[in-house]
Amino acid sequence: MCAESEAAENETSRRGLLRALTLGAGGALAGGAGGLVAAPADAVAERRARTCRCVSRKRCRCACRGHYRATCPCTRCHGPHSRGACPCHRHEGQPPTTGGDPGGDPVPDPQGPPPPLLDDPAGRVLVSRFSHGVTPALVAEVDAAGGAEAWFTGQLRPDAIEDAAAEETYGWWPSLAYPPATLWSRHTAGTEYGWQVMQSYQRWLLMRRIRTRRQVQEVLTAFWENHFNVPVQGDSVFVHRVGYGRAIRPLALGRFEDLLKTVTVHPAMGLYLGNAVSTKAHPNENLGRELLELHTVGRGHYDEDDVKDSARILTGWRVAGASGGWAATYQPADHYVGPVSVMGFSHPNADADGQAVTMQYLGYLARHPATAQRIARKLCVKFCVDQPSAGLVDLLANTYLAGDTAIAPVLQALVRHPEFAAATGAKVRDPAEDVVATYRALDVAIAPPGSPVPEGHVTNALLWQCNNLGAEPQAWPQPNGQPADNESWCSPVRVAASLDLHVTMSGGWWPTVGATYRTPASWLPGSSFTLEQLVGHLAVQVLSQRATPSLVTAVSQVTGYAPSTTMSASHPIVRWMFPRVLTTLLDSPLHMTR
Amino acid sequence: MTTEMTTDQQCCAEYARLSRRGFLGGAVAAGSVLTLGSAVLTASPATAASADSVLVVLSMRGAADGLSLAVPYGDPVYYQARPRIAIPSDQLLAKDGFFGLHPRLAGLMPLWDAGEMAVIHACGLPVANRSHFDAMEQLEDADPGSTTRLGWLNRLLGTTGDTSPLEGFYVGGGVVPTALFGPEPTMAAGAVDAVEIVGDDWGPGRRTSLHTLWDDGTTPLSPAMRITMEAVDDFAPVHDTTDTSATYPDTDLARGLAVAARMIRGDVGIKVLTLDQGDWDMHTNLGTLGWGAMIRNAAEFADAISAFFADLGTQRPKVTLVALSEFGRRVAENANYGLDHGYGNAMWAFGAGVRGGRYYGSFPTLQNTLDADLLVTTDYRNVLADVVESRFGASIPTVFPGLSRQPVGFML
Repeated sequence: MCAESEAAENETSRRGLLRALTLGAGGALAGGAGGLVAAPADAVAERRARTCRCVSRKRCRCACRGHYRATCPCTRCHGPHSRGACPCHRHEGQPPTTGGDPGGDPVPDPQGPPPPLLDDPAGRVLVSRFSHGVTPALVAEVDAAGGAEAWFTGQLRPDAIEDAAAEETYGWWPSLAYPPATLWSRHTAGTEYGWQVMQSYQRWLLMRRIRTRRQVQEVLTAFWENHFNVPVQGDSVFVHRVGYGRAIRPLALGRFEDLLKTVTVHPAMGLYLGNAVSTKAHPNENLGRELLELHTVGRGHYDEDDVKDSARILTGWRVAGASGGWAATYQPADHYVGPVSVMGFSHPNADADGQAVTMQYLGYLARHPATAQRIARKLCVKFCVDQPSAGLVDLLANTYLAGDTAIAPVLQALVRHPEFAAATGAKVRDPAEDVVATYRALDVAIAPPGSPVPEGHVTNALLWQCNNLGAEPQAWPQPNGQPADNESWCSPVRVAASLDLHVTMSGGWWPTVGATYRTPASWLPGSSFTLEQLVGHLAVQVLSQRATPSLVTAVSQVTGYAPSTTMSASHPIVRWMFPRVLTTLLDSPLHMTR
Repeated sequence: MTTEMTTDQQCCAEYARLSRRGFLGGAVAAGSVLTLGSAVLTASPATAASADSVLVVLSMRGAADGLSLAVPYGDPVYYQARPRIAIPSDQLLAKDGFFGLHPRLAGLMPLWDAGEMAVIHACGLPVANRSHFDAMEQLEDADPGSTTRLGWLNRLLGTTGDTSPLEGFYVGGGVVPTALFGPEPTMAAGAVDAVEIVGDDWGPGRRTSLHTLWDDGTTPLSPAMRITMEAVDDFAPVHDTTDTSATYPDTDLARGLAVAARMIRGDVGIKVLTLDQGDWDMHTNLGTLGWGAMIRNAAEFADAISAFFADLGTQRPKVTLVALSEFGRRVAENANYGLDHGYGNAMWAFGAGVRGGRYYGSFPTLQNTLDADLLVTTDYRNVLADVVESRFGASIPTVFPGLSRQPVGFML
């Protein structure tokens, strides 16, 4: 059933239109995923022994050469670390050596504490890549944590971080919490169409990214939600789509195996890739294929017979249709029974209840070396460089396998690698990242939308801004997810739209409903200052970076005043050219790359 | 550096102008939408030099009912299957003994009579797909089996061998449709005025400043920033053309086609434009000749295309327009004066190179069952391939990989 005409009147973007168009039947099912597999206790102890000697929670000793660090990277003190990689600042990426550990009392760190983030370029790369934009508040958090790496380690345990400002936004869109049957009945009654719920979901994601203090978790959630892409505009997917994203978030820094099990049997995935209607007589190969091609090992590791058995293994995970409230169910009657073999995995599959074989199969895929390589490379492309070295990819893949698909150690190995710190400016912000970072940079206060949402409210505009730049969150229309490379986001279309966004936001001209922009006076460094001092101050306040000489020159050129010009709040630059100044900061590589 | 460049008076005027433009910019951003409605325009200039041929692809989003627009009145099953919404044969236009056009397509009759309009019936995807979302992706990707998201129009632009800075160029805003998506840069803009470097009206310092920030080429965006500025400059002749939109009907599609016509008249080398018309998904209240959604959409379609061709001036001999939907609708009407998702559909071709004034395609006998489709007898890619071959001389295996080529014959 479709109901696009009213929808089109409400909001007639092409996206909105597409969304309104696509509502068919379908069915699929859900189910709990497999639980966490605990690492053997002796393995944990062995890792701990190889990498550090804990002196205290805040002070520990690197096993490699006896260097001390401000924050312990081990699992017991502060967070997980990767086996085999020395966490010491001085030995990034090098394996620990044995012996040489004098033990005993703490000794002064020969390096001293890490510099403030503003004067720590390598640390800034880390915080920038793993956040949705560095702000003065985030800089303060990083400095208080004892540096970028210590902050990162703390971020790997997101539940310990207070995050009320982000959490409250979930209540801004009540339909996000409605169960599938309620969403469907509201949709069919025309009370709220599915595509409208999905827009609310996208807006909620953007608000979370703007507000959350659990930045690393949110960045990784976006990464995995895109890796296991279920586009928000697909058919009846909307009834389960919010739950899908919310199932990924708590696993985003956990183990890939758990993520894979959760998403593969999730009803949203089942509805999207046809597994929800797959039967033993007619196995739908869509999910069985994408699971291999996109989610795990990638092309070149399986053949068409593997795809057939992949699909057979997944039969049984159904979703009831509208009459059944879109409930996720397992139907043994639909499960294909008989021996199956996919690459190196084989199973008699004799039981009509195939849930166990599904989980074993997914566990096999998660631990496959080809999966390790694909995940490692994809993390590198997203967070480091488009063309990572084979050495870096191998290191991360090995870390992934050694850690039994744990994600956090892989990230830690990445951020400690010399290629990571050297990759300043190497990654272009994608459209949604630009929009979110711009709100954070300009410190725009966003009010709850309320009900009904006022026309042109900033929370609505956020999504339109992403659309204008060429991509909305979670709306990439194919199962492979949106690309993470630079080239895809370097089109002239995107560049021109970004310049438009920055100018419009710098002036506080649009959106205005529900948005409170800072006044020029609030950005000033004092009562009397030079233009150069102003740029230096704004670079720190807006971009959380030191101003570059070219930035000073660029602001001078766009305003027509020399850097040495002395001014106060009554100067034309402050009174009416201020948008030019702010937009020049946002139009610079310092903001458009991350 | 200069000191004071402007007085407060100028400043306030500029502020007001910026505010207004900023606001409009934002409004356009809101999905090219507040101004263009469901008609969204994207354009891809392949060269700064004058184009020899221009192809406009109009996507009728939502799956238009080809059996209402190009009616097979010669098949009695059509009337049996649609007791309430069938169009009486005595109301049809351009009748050839079997087919006739919907009366609200009257605006197209001058093109039909001049032999500049052809209808190709029973076209579609090689395999039925009833999901709008999936079908649009497949239709526009037009490369079954490929997992790369690369549209057929982007592949077409890749065959031009053009080295102009405009080749490889997008402009504007909005999500580029799949047909245009790919490595060949394209432009996207909902309005001529949107093709700009915002802030250019602050004076030359704006560009100088951007060059200072980006010309060192140390970031991956540096070439894009340079190409963007060049493309905006090369687009300048379009700004100088007359805005004729007041002569168009007051509909979304007409507004979009007015922008397209202006871009074409600017003669800046645009070879391919794509355009959407929405609201074709008529499950309910498709209606009759007296009421409903079909009469409205059919008239919008016809009158906008008619106004478009009348507005092209000296560029008209270059311009071909093709219209298609992601799939067709069922043969039999449902309980709601509407039609559910089907399969085969009509495709439409207008303008340069079209051997028009007649219907093409092999039309299968209709079936009057609950879920009967109009079957597909012509792969839609073969229709597009006729145009690509005739107007661009491009390699068909490159633009439509794996296509079993069977010319349809409606192009000169």
